[in-house]
Amino acid sequence: MTTNIPIKSDPNTDIACRTPDMEERSLLRKVIDRIADRCRSRSLFILHYCTGCGAIELPPVITSRFDSERLGIQPMVTPRQADILLITGYLSVKTLKRVILTYEQMSAPKYVIGMGSCTINGGMYWHSYATIKRLQEYMPVDMYIAGCMPRPEAIQQGFLQLIDNIDKGQAIAWQDYYYQYDKYLGNQQALFGPDWHTPTDVIAEARHYELFSENTIGEHTALLAKFASKYVTLQCEELVK
Amino acid sequence: MSQQLPEVLASVFREIPNLVFEEQTARRLRVKLRPDALPALLELLKGRAGYLHLSAISCVDWPDTDEFELVYHLWSYEVKTLVSAHIYIPKKPGRYVSVYDIFTPAAFFERDIHEMFGVYFEGSPDMEPFILTEWFGPPPMLKSFSSLDYVEETFKWEQYSPDWLKEIEANGGGIVE
Repeated sequence: MTTNIPIKSDPNTDIACRTPDMEERSLLRKVIDRIADRCRSRSLFILHYCTGCGAIELPPVITSRFDSERLGIQPMVTPRQADILLITGYLSVKTLKRVILTYEQMSAPKYVIGMGSCTINGGMYWHSYATIKRLQEYMPVDMYIAGCMPRPEAIQQGFLQLIDNIDKGQAIAWQDYYYQYDKYLGNQQALFGPDWHTPTDVIAEARHYELFSENTIGEHTALLAKFASKYVTLQCEELVK
Repeated sequence: MSQQLPEVLASVFREIPNLVFEEQTARRLRVKLRPDALPALLELLKGRAGYLHLSAISCVDWPDTDEFELVYHLWSYEVKTLVSAHIYIPKKPGRYVSVYDIFTPAAFFERDIHEMFGVYFEGSPDMEPFILTEWFGPPPMLKSFSSLDYVEETFKWEQYSPDWLKEIEANGGGIVE
């Protein structure tokens, strides 16, 4: 499929000096994003948050047996340099807090894989008071790999699927965190109490990435102004107005 | 009293009135005594028989008798016999004296029991939440606490047969038996 970029400005002017109009700019941006997505999907770093299971299944995936490095996937030790947050197994309410802090530190675009049945619906800990049941209520999840535990082949298959999704520009769940921040924060507050906040100013980030929507702020983020005014200065001024 | 009981232990047990003990194995003794006599027993065991190691304090909730059972597990590297001292305290007010001044590690065990069962230990250095820092409900290890009810009202469930899964199953994927 070929798309002709319409040039609407005066053909006599020097092409390097003219300002591209909005439609042309968006098309250019799409092309650049496409190239960037393709490059990005070939080089991914996983931050594996192994609080639950996966100590048997993940090492063969990453090391010589199944060798995810031939797909371009390597483990990384810090959230700020990682692309994928791999949540293996159950999350207790206490560790979820740390996972959210970790997730917000990662630079966009970031991808979350929920691995194992526990992240989908509580798994074998479904009636435990201490573990969360659905990960997607607290942060956007790109992909779930079901199983208790999934086999290394299944994890590899999941990685391939994620690479494919990133390549096609479909792995955009991270944008949802900015679009729907009020919903996610509300679910977090239901567990951690109304004074829950992180040092990250997600609303300012949403503006910076131009991902601000009407659902970014709401009744739950209004509580941030009360309890976390140190971190969300921008929003406080707005609420005063 | 048993023939194999070491003399040093027998001399300690003779000091405590109303003490009942039974031998589970040669290396494991179960001792029941009155709650007010427990600190004295721990002091005597520590001072005379070398019971320097408080392995754990465990708590049992008995809903029928409305009592908490506290079990102090002690180990001596000299006598090499585990002594489990059982006491029963009423659920209301659910208060007992701390043994932190005899065994320092008791602080952690008592703090843990306080958040899991709600027993308050007087004289314990710290009764703040230890593991359940994000917890607003009742003490979860009580028999009266229903974990299932709590989960039902706190969390939402994923659908087990959502529409998107039916599409995958129609194409030969999904749950394979």
